Amino acid sequence: MASEPTPAGGPAPLLVLDDVQAGYGRAAMVLRGLTIEVPPGTVVCLVGPNGAGKSTVLKVASGLLKPRSGRVLVDGDDVTGRGPQAMLASGLAHVLQGHSVFREMTVEENVLLGAYTLRDKARVAERVAFVRDLFPIVGERWKQLAGLLSGGQQKQVEFARSLMVDPKVVLLDEPSMGLDPKTTATVFEQVTRMRDAGTAVLLVEQNARRALETADLGCVLDLGRVHISGPAPELLADPQLSELYLGGRPAEPSLPVEG
Amino acid sequence: MPNASDTERPPPSPTRTAAPGPRDVKGTRQALTVARAVKLVAFVAGAVLILSFPNMAPNPYILSAGVVVASYACTATAWNFMGGFTGYISLGHAAFFGLGAYATGLLIRDLSWPPFVAWLGAGAVVVLITIPVGIAALRVRGASFVIVSIAFVLILLLVSQAWKDFTGGSNGLVVPRPFPDLLRPEHHRVFFYLFVALLAVMLLVWWVIDRSRFGAGLKAVREDEDKAQALGVPTRDYKLVAYLVSALFTGLSGGMYALWFGDLDPIFQFSILLGAYMVLMALLGGVRHLYGPLLGALIVGGALEYFKLEYGDTQLHLVATAVLLGVVVLFTPNGIIPAATDLVKRFGPQDSSIREMTAAELLERNENEARRAADE
Repeated sequence: MASEPTPAGGPAPLLVLDDVQAGYGRAAMVLRGLTIEVPPGTVVCLVGPNGAGKSTVLKVASGLLKPRSGRVLVDGDDVTGRGPQAMLASGLAHVLQGHSVFREMTVEENVLLGAYTLRDKARVAERVAFVRDLFPIVGERWKQLAGLLSGGQQKQVEFARSLMVDPKVVLLDEPSMGLDPKTTATVFEQVTRMRDAGTAVLLVEQNARRALETADLGCVLDLGRVHISGPAPELLADPQLSELYLGGRPAEPSLPVEG
Repeated sequence: MPNASDTERPPPSPTRTAAPGPRDVKGTRQALTVARAVKLVAFVAGAVLILSFPNMAPNPYILSAGVVVASYACTATAWNFMGGFTGYISLGHAAFFGLGAYATGLLIRDLSWPPFVAWLGAGAVVVLITIPVGIAALRVRGASFVIVSIAFVLILLLVSQAWKDFTGGSNGLVVPRPFPDLLRPEHHRVFFYLFVALLAVMLLVWWVIDRSRFGAGLKAVREDEDKAQALGVPTRDYKLVAYLVSALFTGLSGGMYALWFGDLDPIFQFSILLGAYMVLMALLGGVRHLYGPLLGALIVGGALEYFKLEYGDTQLHLVATAVLLGVVVLFTPNGIIPAATDLVKRFGPQDSSIREMTAAELLERNENEARRAADE
């Protein structure tokens, strides 16, 4: 099982969203004063019903959507309102929802595009070696078209691509989408491997119970605010939360997570 | 606990996995060398054929048809800087062709610039006009972009028809000849080589971009713009630059055409049909390939000229074009070059299996399975 939750007053968080309000166009606000922290070396999982604003949180963090108010801090630096490139440069990599490999490109081209903002070739080679080591399947399929890989393998290519810039925090939007339960388990294993390799993870999942079992900390979002947050095991153990957001109590003890 | 996936367990004896053995590697390398040699021979043969065309042409009419096809090859290749790299399909590229042609003609007529200086000046004019147009048009994607591109060419058509004092309107604009002493056949020959030289420059630029970081970013936009942006590709700026390069070369093709043909009519310069030909030629040959649009232009342009020669004033060439477009979309949506490559591959050495799991992975999975079952 995952490591212990970070105690209060622990290391300074890598990513902070402070009282963020955000929305699309003239439509109503999606995030209404949301505050989230991602401490180093942790997997933080956002769960909540559809429309709670989970994906929007990631879009704000990666610069795809500018917040209307509030602040975004990376390692203490205020990066509020910067675009995707600047966010990437400051250490936030976003893995979009669904199948997001470039299907018509090889695994190699996909991974190298992850290093698009790096200009130092030696550094790129170093990172390639690192991700190939972390995700062996990426190395094995190096010259193949990414679109020909299975869903689980494509996810690993996406993870590898996102790690090319050596981000401080990886933002994962529903990595288990469209995957069978067994492959989902593998994908969550990879998430813990990423954390153990030194990258904090902010994870958004529909598959809430499974994700909280992987995560260190959890936040339950509802109507654009953090409804409750805390160590993931405590959230899992809370019967009321289970009832409201995790689809009822588990009928039986859930499967152990490997890794 | 045994379960269904146990049936997939490979035999316990160590089997060879799909990893290529030394022999396969050697074979691949040989195949690569052969492919490179074939490419080189094809390139030299193609270049020799094209360059010797003016000497082989039996009469000036065929020669002039060759010039038209060469100008098509230029426009289709120029179009492909945008369509091929970014996947943005512009049906209105004739706008840049017409702008280049009219700017060349007007700079010679009104400012008395030397013909080829005016031609380069026209390129600059096209780029200047394209900057605001590109910024506006590239705010939208997909079908909306197609519509905006068509709107642009229609606006220019109406303006050039209505502004009689400046463009000559429907009466046309006569562009003075750059080589007044040359006889007609010689004139065609010179312009054939000028178009081919322009084409060579474009192919070189395309080749360089194809191998560059810029090119990698553009191709990421073609695959998926949002993902490309999330990876830090400055998509908006890159699209605009590709659009400008594409417009510049299309404009230069138009200017060259003006110098060659000597008489401009709005209806033929700002023509939707011309824009559609560019798309058809590029799609036919293959938009992802350096020579795709050139090949498409040879086929479509050749066919168009043939139909015009054989059937004169009928509109049969348009029918043939439509049929061709249908056939391309139905049978070779990626173009002739990829289709031919696939065909060759089918007869050549086969790739390793496309099965999603190698035997080693399967073994590992089954072992995990067994371990998990043991834990429970």
